[in-house]
Formats: sequence, C-alpha cells, structure tokens
Amino acid sequence: MSKERNMKHKKMTRKGQLQMTETIAILFIFFILLLFGVIFYFRYQKIAFQEKQEELLGTRAMESTLKTLFMPELICSRGEAEPEDNCFDVLKLNATQKIMAQYLDEYYFEIFSYATITVQETYPGDKTWILYDKPKPEFTRKEPTFFVITLRDELAGNNQPEYGFGYVAVTVYS
Amino acid sequence: MKLERKEFGNLSVKGQMEVIGLVVIVILIALGMLFMATFALKSDPHKKIFTRKGLAYSTMSALMKTTVSEKAACYSLSQGSPKIGGDVIEDCAKYHDVDTSIYQCIGPFSGKALHSCDFLAEMAAYSLDNTLGIWNKNYEFHSQLIPFQGEEPVNLIEPIVVGGCPKWKERDSSGLFPINTEAGLVENTLYLCD
Repeated sequence: MSKERNMKHKKMTRKGQLQMTETIAILFIFFILLLFGVIFYFRYQKIAFQEKQEELLGTRAMESTLKTLFMPELICSRGEAEPEDNCFDVLKLNATQKIMAQYLDEYYFEIFSYATITVQETYPGDKTWILYDKPKPEFTRKEPTFFVITLRDELAGNNQPEYGFGYVAVTVYS
Repeated sequence: MKLERKEFGNLSVKGQMEVIGLVVIVILIALGMLFMATFALKSDPHKKIFTRKGLAYSTMSALMKTTVSEKAACYSLSQGSPKIGGDVIEDCAKYHDVDTSIYQCIGPFSGKALHSCDFLAEMAAYSLDNTLGIWNKNYEFHSQLIPFQGEEPVNLIEPIVVGGCPKWKERDSSGLFPINTEAGLVENTLYLCD
C-alpha cells in the first residue's frame, strides 16, 4: 500500500517538475521577447531623436535661406517698386560683403546663428562672395541648402542692366 | 464526482492561461506591425519637398531672366543684351525651322556663333550643369512651342535629360514658364528629382 502511494507521489513530483520546467521555459522565452522589444524600442527612439534633430536643422537651413533670399541688403529693388524675387544686386553684394563681416557678431549672428552664406556666380563670370562665415566650433552636423538666383549688374549692361546666373549656398551647423 | 469537477477546474484554468498567452503574442505582433507601419508611412520631410520645388522654380526663373553676356557677341537689332527668356526664345520660336536666326551668339560650350535655338540649348545645358549638375540632382528641361494655328506642339530644343525624371518618379516641376511669341506660345518646364 505504502509502495503504491510512494510511486504515485514520485509520479506527481515528476509531473510537477516537468510543469515547472515548462513554466520556466515559457517565462524565459517571454523575457527574451520582451528584451528584444525593449532593445528595438530604444533603437527606434534613438533614430527618431536623430531624425528630429536633422529635421530641426533642416528647418533652420530653410529659414536661413529664406531670410537670405529676401534680405533688403541683397535683393534687387528699384525705388518703391516690388523687389524682384530670386535676384541679388551685384552692387549691393559688394557692399554687403564688407558690412556683414564688420557687424557679424553684433547684428547678423542673431539672424543666422552658426552658418556660412556664399553667393557663387556661374555665368558670365565665376566670382564668389562670402557674405557670412561663422561655422560652429566642433560641429557634428551641417546642412547645406542651395537656391539658384540671378545677379543683376547695373554697371555691366549697355543702357540696361545685365543679369548673370548663379546660386546662393546656405550651410547651417549644429 | 468531486474529483471530476476538480479536474475540470484545472483544465479550465490551463485553458485560460493559454488564451492569455495567445493574447500576449497577438499584442506583441500588433505592436511590431504598428512600428513597421510607422516606419513605412513616414512621409518625406517637409524641407526636402520645399527645397526641391523652390529650387526648380528658382532655377527656371533665374534662367529665364539671365541676359547673354557681351562676350557671346550676339548681333542683335535691339539695344542691350538679349534675355534668354525673352529675345532668345522668341527668335528661336520664329526661326526654329530656318537655318539662320537674327541672334547669332557664341555658345558657352562650343565657342562658335550659333543659331538661337542651338544657343538656347547650350546655354540651358551649361547653366543647369553648373548648378543642379554639381549638386548631383536629376533633372529634365523641356521647351515646347504651341503654334497659334492649332498645330501639334513642337520641341524648340531637344529635351535636356540628366538622370531623368519620369512621371512615375517622385518629382517636382518649376511650373510652366509661358512666353508669348509671334510664332506661338512657348512653354518651358524644368522637372527636378533626387
């Protein structure tokens, strides 16, 4: 009788051990899956954070480019008439280059922060104007934005101003 | 009877546990799919679209406004330098099927005096190559004449295709830059893609 009970008890213990192992295995797999999930989530968060930073830098690049394109110091104007869009006046460019370098920290840094703004002529000549140059020390990322413009030269044309072809490059740093 | 009920109770608890397990798996799969959908449906950044469209427009606008320099030695009847988006295109539209045109300007590539249509083609290729080309952009430039008599539209110059921006590709257009000439309406379009 006691032998039979002993056997039954042993059988039940073995069954319990098996169930315990099963539960442990399931828990192990569950935690592995959870770990994968956590790793994936944190990687996603890291990438999302980097993307957000890039997006912010992109927005700043865009804003700086728009500010440059519509700067009264550069845009082609004629008296009270509507200024010409996508056009820089060469006479203004020559003057502004000096003014911007002179008041870089006092005035223009508040507008453009850490950035480099250059105007490049591609036709008829290949002149370059470095309007603003303030790169961030030890920057980690930079975002260049380009816009094609015309360069109006009042002194070059015969009675009428000559329009050259070029581009403005605005690079922002973070 | 008591034993049967106990066994049934055990089985029921086990079944419930399995259902909970299944629910957990389904939730995990749903979360995974949600993440994947977030990645897949992420739209292009606003900046990218804005700059591409703005760049296409500004390039076309600048090209149309550009005047031919004195170095090109265009022999023209009018005063001042001929404008690409005015005098040159008008001359090309008028004389595109004739060997000689009024404006004979020296091309920036060939260095020879060219027919206004050939000069337009060279000038557009030169300007686009020095801007969009060096930024590794793919683009297409089309200049089409739509005659007033209702004839079929004709290409004033061979379309300039660099990399190509077919319709199925994500592309932005400068919009039509229409120029009214004596020969008809000239539509100039620039397509830009990455």
